[in-house]
Amino acid sequence: MNRIIVVTSGKGGVGKTTVSANLGMALAKIGRQVALVDADFGLRNLDLLLGLENRIVYTALEVLSRECRLEQALVKDKRQPNLVLLPAAQNRTKDSVTPDQMKLLVNALGQKYQYVVIDSPAGIEMGFKNAITPAKEALIVTTPEISAVRDADRVVGLIEAQGIKRIHLIINRIRPEMVRANDMMSVQDVQELLAIPLIGVIPDDERVIVSTNRGEPLVLAETPSLAALAFENIARRLEGETIEFLDLNSPQDNIFSRLRKLFRTKIV
Amino acid sequence: MTSDSPNLDSNSAPDPETISSLADAEVNNSPAWEAYPNPILPEAELNSVLLYLQTDSPSDPTDANPMELGLPKQRVDHPLQVQMKTEEGKLLLILPTESQQPASELSWSEIWQQMKQRLNASDRLRRPQTQVHLVAQDRLLDSRQMQEIADALGEFQLELKCVVTSRRQTAIAAVTLGYSVKQLQPQPSLNSESKAIPLADTLYLAMTVRSGVEIRHPGTVIIVGDINPGGMVVADGDILVWGRLRGIAHAGAKGNRECQIMALQMEPTQLRIADAVARAPEKSPLQFTPEVAHITAQGIRIAKANDFSRSQSSKIVKIQESEIS
Repeated sequence: MNRIIVVTSGKGGVGKTTVSANLGMALAKIGRQVALVDADFGLRNLDLLLGLENRIVYTALEVLSRECRLEQALVKDKRQPNLVLLPAAQNRTKDSVTPDQMKLLVNALGQKYQYVVIDSPAGIEMGFKNAITPAKEALIVTTPEISAVRDADRVVGLIEAQGIKRIHLIINRIRPEMVRANDMMSVQDVQELLAIPLIGVIPDDERVIVSTNRGEPLVLAETPSLAALAFENIARRLEGETIEFLDLNSPQDNIFSRLRKLFRTKIV
Repeated sequence: MTSDSPNLDSNSAPDPETISSLADAEVNNSPAWEAYPNPILPEAELNSVLLYLQTDSPSDPTDANPMELGLPKQRVDHPLQVQMKTEEGKLLLILPTESQQPASELSWSEIWQQMKQRLNASDRLRRPQTQVHLVAQDRLLDSRQMQEIADALGEFQLELKCVVTSRRQTAIAAVTLGYSVKQLQPQPSLNSESKAIPLADTLYLAMTVRSGVEIRHPGTVIIVGDINPGGMVVADGDILVWGRLRGIAHAGAKGNRECQIMALQMEPTQLRIADAVARAPEKSPLQFTPEVAHITAQGIRIAKANDFSRSQSSKIVKIQESEIS
């Protein structure tokens, strides 16, 4: 049974693409066949985050206009053979593809890949519709800001209207020390408002920026980070495992000592 | 604040008032709703807005049949939404007429979403295999749209049996799909809203009214769930929210000042009853109790549900006493 998941948020800049890239990688790392679909026509970024920009020859649009076969457009990742990317066209706009065409592409990918992860563009216009139409489940990414949460709320409503029943929430860029100081919405606050099950909380981490600029997803990095661990946990929760949420509220000690502690508790 | 600002009809600018202290003296010690004197808009600004709205509103809203004009007239009031009604053991699914909501691809998707919403939100209470009569009125439906409706109903184990329409094309589409058809005579006089129309059946929705969702209903609305910020419920009757009210609620939208808004947790963006508007104090209270918003001589006031029902019943007792004496 293949899974077709759209990653969306409404608001821009909350980390949809980062989540898509890292989640795709994390799923591939645990042995799943993953296809990432960039639905952000005209403003594609997913290839940059994966460091695959210079390998793109054909895009989804060429597939649709029958200039190439679907397999030819798929960009394979050397570091992780289980993962492919279907890039979006950069020289067109979101109106150049219809929801039916997206469905066609995604369903074709669904034949071969266990996970199809669709990276949705921001907004709720045509590009968003294209991204959610083929999906069977949705991951809503939000940051603990009222504007992001408000937009996420709107998007949840639209996705529910579309008939997608499995909707999960990812809260990105949370800063535990700010939550403790009551300067930031807490996970509970966000969850209370959106009323959808939580699947992951990702701490704010400067290394995300570094990894984005390098085109190297955090999940693949040599040095472990809390954010990467959070992504891996989301991947495993998607697989159906029950995993405790990361304890981001533990006293402010070194990240590495916290990680070590975490690993130790797992081994014992 | 201007409790006697220009008197306008119900679809023009509401008269802003603010929630201040609790209406009933005996509950004044509650910390939840402190005195809050600031009006929403400065007086001058308000007046200019009112003036603008007055000039913009059509002089006579009842004239002009848009069908005859060729060009649909820009409607000031909001279109009606899909309604459901139980009648003699069958479910009526009533679509807004084309004069209530002009036909276009956009309005179809809107109707479609409203229908799905309504079906989803009261699914628990319906019996499976209920027969549905689709009251399409003068709305043009092609066979694809009708099939979509039938499929959606099928998902909720409802069975489309009959289509009630005044349009020949819709009737033909229904017959080809195998539904029985009831022809309606076109009733142009239906639109004249001269006679008093009783409130529609209460709309019961078990759902979260999320940002961007707007529920309109010509009767009382019960929401079992939250109204989130950015969400809106407009009812001609009361609004009862069994959950958190954080968005906008407008009760008595046709001008009934007796209407009330009740919520387990009152943190509204804005409350409106008939032509009065109020907003919540800046500081939200630490603890919430069920509360009731109602109109008093000073505008919209909020009372604790316990105290409110008591004060209401004491009023009744007083009336009875005076009647006796």
